[in-house]
Amino acid sequence: MRLPAFWPLPRTWQGWLTTALFAFMYGPILVLTVYSFNDSIRYTSVWQGFSLKWYESLFQDTRIFRALQDTLFVAIVAVAISSVLGTLMAIGLAKYYFPGKGVYRGVSYLPLIIPDISIAVATLVFLASLAIPLSIWTIIAAHMVFCLAYIAVVVSSRLGSLDPNLEEAALDLGATPAQALIQVLLPQLMPAIVAGCLLAFVLSVDDLLISSFTAGGGANPLPLEIFSRIRNGVKPDMNALSVLLILASGMIAALGEYLRYKGSMTDG
Amino acid sequence: MTASPTSKRWRFSQLELGQQFKRLLGALTLLAPPGLWLILFLVLPTLLILDISLVPGLRPGESGDGYGLGNYSRVFNPFDAAFDSVYLQVIGRSLYYATGTTLACLLMGFPVAYWLALMAPRRWRNFLVVAFILPLWTSSLLRAYAWISILRPSGLLNSFIGWLSGGLPGVQLPEQAWLYTSAAVLIGLTYNFLPYMVLILYASLEKLDISLLEAAADLGATPRQTFWQVTVPQTLPGIAAGCLLVFITSMGDFVVPTLLGGASSMTISRLIYNQFLGITRNWGLGSALSMVMILAVSLMIALLLKYGDRDSVKEA
Amino acid sequence: MPRKRSLYSTQFRQFGPTRRRFLQGSAAAIAGVTLSNCRQNIAEGPATDETTDAAPTDGGGAEPGVLHVYTWADYTNDALVEAFKEQTGIDVIVDVYDSNETMLAKMQAGGGDAYSIIYPSDYMVQQMIELGLLTSIDKDRIEGLDNIFDKWQDPAYDPGNTFSIPYAWGTTGLLYNKEVVSGTPTDWEYLWENQGDLSRRITLLDDVRETMGAVLSSLGYSYNSTDPAEIEAAFDRLIELKPAIASFMSFGFEDALFGGDLNMVMAYSVDAIAATLEDERMEYFVPESGSSVWTDTMIIPVGAPNVDAAYQWINFNLDPAISQMSTEMLFNATPNKVAFDNLSDELISNTDLFPPQEVLDRCEGIAPVGEATALYDEFWTRVTSA
Repeated sequence: MRLPAFWPLPRTWQGWLTTALFAFMYGPILVLTVYSFNDSIRYTSVWQGFSLKWYESLFQDTRIFRALQDTLFVAIVAVAISSVLGTLMAIGLAKYYFPGKGVYRGVSYLPLIIPDISIAVATLVFLASLAIPLSIWTIIAAHMVFCLAYIAVVVSSRLGSLDPNLEEAALDLGATPAQALIQVLLPQLMPAIVAGCLLAFVLSVDDLLISSFTAGGGANPLPLEIFSRIRNGVKPDMNALSVLLILASGMIAALGEYLRYKGSMTDG
Repeated sequence: MTASPTSKRWRFSQLELGQQFKRLLGALTLLAPPGLWLILFLVLPTLLILDISLVPGLRPGESGDGYGLGNYSRVFNPFDAAFDSVYLQVIGRSLYYATGTTLACLLMGFPVAYWLALMAPRRWRNFLVVAFILPLWTSSLLRAYAWISILRPSGLLNSFIGWLSGGLPGVQLPEQAWLYTSAAVLIGLTYNFLPYMVLILYASLEKLDISLLEAAADLGATPRQTFWQVTVPQTLPGIAAGCLLVFITSMGDFVVPTLLGGASSMTISRLIYNQFLGITRNWGLGSALSMVMILAVSLMIALLLKYGDRDSVKEA
Repeated sequence: MPRKRSLYSTQFRQFGPTRRRFLQGSAAAIAGVTLSNCRQNIAEGPATDETTDAAPTDGGGAEPGVLHVYTWADYTNDALVEAFKEQTGIDVIVDVYDSNETMLAKMQAGGGDAYSIIYPSDYMVQQMIELGLLTSIDKDRIEGLDNIFDKWQDPAYDPGNTFSIPYAWGTTGLLYNKEVVSGTPTDWEYLWENQGDLSRRITLLDDVRETMGAVLSSLGYSYNSTDPAEIEAAFDRLIELKPAIASFMSFGFEDALFGGDLNMVMAYSVDAIAATLEDERMEYFVPESGSSVWTDTMIIPVGAPNVDAAYQWINFNLDPAISQMSTEMLFNATPNKVAFDNLSDELISNTDLFPPQEVLDRCEGIAPVGEATALYDEFWTRVTSA
């Protein structure tokens, strides 16, 4: 059986399955969006008319904005420091050969492998044992561990596909190693660094477990606040919050994927 | 251990002392700060929980009962007086969730990745792949929260089932309480990890040599034969890497079992959480369970590294 | 201040020297920190650290002029916080917990440095006093304590209110939807008798002492039983009910209950009364075989920042007008005579809020169970993990 050339629907069962799974992936997000406009007193699944009241109540919710501030502060500081450390680590691992390099590389992969809960527990026990008071800075310190590991991995994979001759040429032409690094290597690595930072940023913003175990001193990042609200009863303004967060992260995602795409294009 | 061309050029023995020193300085500048950070906030803490896991009954404010394997034997040794089968039950449940999720992701993810990599219109491919993994970038808590409203007894899934039963006479589908069941946890976990599986399988299928498929077809192989004898073996490393990634991450997941699972969905990560921030506060036992988890995950990675394909592990 | 010191340091000397040297050596080689010292710190508990004890400092970077309050999910609202700010100019940030035990865990893990006021229940006050986590209240800085009913002037959990100030009291019971529950339930027993109909439509409190206590009570034992055989019997009975339990949750069941996803929930009177007043299908009762009557208090933890503001907060809440306001808005029964007298007849005659004496006589206060705590925890872990 031949289908007409303009047939807009999938032609195979794989195509149909993909369509169904696209619906599966976006369904819950759509549901949240629809309910965020529901004119109900409580969170019900019954449609009771269109309303923007949950957005209004969200914008008057100072707790949410405090929590958002904490989250962004943690993510920005952790990612900023990790972007430097992670890039240094990736370059160092690519450039140097030294005894124990395998162990070093293995350790650098650990944060990607060890489950979050184990990292969280270990960090808590460590901080408690040194009697370091928990604060927003302990969250940042703990987040830096996985942020720098993820950034290093992304940058490493980019480094592997670079032309080493460029840097050598710069060195041969009389540039100092620092100059060669900053003026030749870094610009080439920039897309990977930014992509790694975006990934680390999203992971940091989404982290519940590690933050739960390291938060103190009044710091209360957004995932903790959301978790507490879901456990202790939520107002439907959580739906409104979800929609705004999804829009925001969608934009970050689009940027990230664009950079990844661009990066993979230049690889040839 | 093969040295890359650059490092060969810089063999220490071939360098003069001054250069060697500079070289060392460079390596230290680049590698010492992140290395120290990882040692301080990852390696040392992990060694510390290894140590603490060897002290049965250690709690904040209580000293525990001296050194011993008590915490481990309580979980694993049926001949120990303090043995409680409930811990093995929890570990078993975590493995069950992880296995179920991995299978579901593989069975659904493979056809999708196959379609995206080989059958979708070429110029849409990148866009479609990105679109498929886009939900990953949103808050995992809010995604689980969205499922609550779908799975609750008065929620959308049951409304949909009711509508189907009404629309198709003779078909009676059971409406049931989905939320707070194992099914809810499996659905939530599959939703979370399907995009990872698709992404990894896509990367693997994209590299598939089409000419091999064509050759197989030319030689008279049926599509089924081609699939099982060419496509699958070619993408086996990707499948292994994807399954491992999904298995490990879903086993350690905390949010989905906590929010979607009810009274009977304790998993190992929830149990560990409870030893520290829940009611039990048994830090020794919590550390032991945490070490068990780290060891199990490391073992799986090691097996894959030994028997699997290194590149695909890196990709994951 | 008398404090139970950890035995850990003496314990440690009993270990073989080889292992000790190995551990100390390896750790010292890594970072110059010995694991033994680390672990000793944990056994002593970060919250009881000497330095924070000596001088109330700015715990973990909390801002001055801000009061961090750690309380139950239903114990304050924006109106109270606003009123306090108007009166004193101090911003209040409220974080919530859902059980005494999780609050204690958070404090012991060192995550509660910022809090100046916490609201533990009676038995937890006693436990926290024993752990040395509370500062004694300076009565000279407290106004209006004599307005409290005599019953709470010298409570058993904290004689003379040395460490805690009573804030509210209430009961624990069952809240259900009249339209879907058959008959008139009067006792815990109803849960077991109607297990089939209620399957996956009930929740119990995510609270070891309350839920285990309720089952003990249904068996005719004390809420505070320390008899291992009785506790085990309660455990077996709870396991019997387990397949019918949708989830263990202490708060946040309202949407599901009103929406018809749940039929019956175990609840604190505070939340139950709010539910009965919001939706007339809802009914609350204190089971006949007995339940718990609890008192929640305000305490200042050791090492709390901003102690002045904490006292201001306590005095603010002791103010009869404010106590009356919180009873009217949040339905926690006030222990304040003056506030009680000023309440509307409608509230005073609400038997869910102020149960008649014969109901209270059936109830027990939860008390610390000492050594049996570990047993409760163990059985609770089994219940929730099975």
